[in-house]
Amino acid sequence: MRITVKCFSQVRYALEKDELSLELGPGKDTKDVEDLVREHANKKLDGVLLRTAVNRVYIKEPQELKDGDEVAFIPPVQGG
Amino acid sequence: MIITPKELQKWVKDGRTFQVIDIRTEDQREEFPLSVIGSIVGSAESLPLANGHPIILVCQFGVVTEGLILEKELDNAYSLLGGALAWEALQTEKDDLSRWSRQTALPELGIIGQKKLNNASVAIVGVGGLGCFAANILAAAGVGSLLLVDGDKVELSNLHRQHLYGSDDIGSKKVTAAKKRLSSQYDQVILHTVPEMLVNDNANEYLHNADVIVDATDSIQTRVLIDHTSKETEIPMVYGGLYRFEGQVAVLNHHGSPGYRDLFPELPTSGDACAEAGILGMLPGIIGNIQALEAVKLITGIEPTLAGRLLIYDGLSHNTTIVDISRKE
Repeated sequence: MRITVKCFSQVRYALEKDELSLELGPGKDTKDVEDLVREHANKKLDGVLLRTAVNRVYIKEPQELKDGDEVAFIPPVQGG
Repeated sequence: MIITPKELQKWVKDGRTFQVIDIRTEDQREEFPLSVIGSIVGSAESLPLANGHPIILVCQFGVVTEGLILEKELDNAYSLLGGALAWEALQTEKDDLSRWSRQTALPELGIIGQKKLNNASVAIVGVGGLGCFAANILAAAGVGSLLLVDGDKVELSNLHRQHLYGSDDIGSKKVTAAKKRLSSQYDQVILHTVPEMLVNDNANEYLHNADVIVDATDSIQTRVLIDHTSKETEIPMVYGGLYRFEGQVAVLNHHGSPGYRDLFPELPTSGDACAEAGILGMLPGIIGNIQALEAVKLITGIEPTLAGRLLIYDGLSHNTTIVDISRKE
C-alpha cells in the first residue's frame, strides 16, 4: 500500500520535506511510520514529541493503515 | 462626506437646519424607526435636492449612502456613519457604535454582537509577537476591557515583530509600553496590566474574570497553566503557537472541547521559542489575528469556531490544514 506523510514544523526541517510518499507492506500502523520517519531524520527528531493524525483526525493510539491514507506528524510548537 | 451619530446629535441640539432622507425599505424603517430627527422617505433617484440645506442620507448600516454620495458626486450631503442602527443605539443607550459601522454591517455581528464585544473582557497572556497583534486588533474591534499579562521587558530584538513597541520602550515592561500605545490609539478600551509572569499562585486570580483567554505565551509551561485554569474556570482559551514559517491555532476547553493537555499529554523538554528557531514578523501577525478572530467569534456566538479543531498554517505554501482533535479515544 502507498501512503502520504505530511510533515509539520520540526519534522519538516528534519526531513527537509513537507511531504513523503511511502510504500508499506500490509499490516503496518502509524507507529511503524513514525519509526521510519525518526530513522530518516537521522537523530534530528530525538526527544521531539510527535502527535499523529490520520486523514486529518487526531489519534491517540497507533492505528493500522490502509492504501491512500494520509498520516501527519505534529509536534507541539512553542514560539509566541 | 460622513457624519457620526454624535455629530448629528450636536447638530440637532444646536438647532441647525438640515434635511434627513431615509432611503431604506419600508420593512427596515418599521423595524428601526429613526427617532428624534424628522426624516423624509427618499430614493437614490430623487437626489440631489436643490433646497440648499445640508442633506443627511440614512440607510440601515451607513454603507449604501456612502456609495451613493460618491456615485452622484453630492456636495452638500452627509452619510450617517453606521446608519439607522448606530443612530438608534445612540438614542436608546447613549452608545456611539458608529466607529464599528463596518463590522456591525456584517449580518453575523450586527449591533447586538458589537454590544457583546463592548461589554467583553479578554485576557491576553504574553504580549510578545502574538499578543501584540491580538491586543491591537481586539482593542480596535471594540472589546471593552483587555487584561495584559507579561513580566518581560522590551528588547531591541523584539521590535521587528512586536509592533506595539518602539526604540523608546526598550527596557520598559512590555505591559506598560503596550498600555501606553493602545490607550493612545483606542480611547474606549479599559486596559488592565499585570507586569509579572503567570504562575500557579496568581493564574486563577488574574484570569477568572475574563470571557476569553488568549494564549500568546512562548512557554509551554505557562500554556499548560493557562490550560489548567481555563478548564477549571470554564473560560475558553484560544491557543496560538509558532515555529518558523508555521503557526497553530485552536479553541480549547470550550463547551467540553479538548484542552491543551488532551492535545499534547506529554511535555517537551527542549525549547523551540522564536529566539532559537527564528521568525519573521508577519507570522505572529497572521496567527495573532486568527486568535483574535476566534476570540471575537466566541464572545459574539458566531460559529463555527476552531473548538475541537487544530488549524495549522504554513507561511511558505500558504496551505492551511485543519485537524479534527475532538475524538475522545
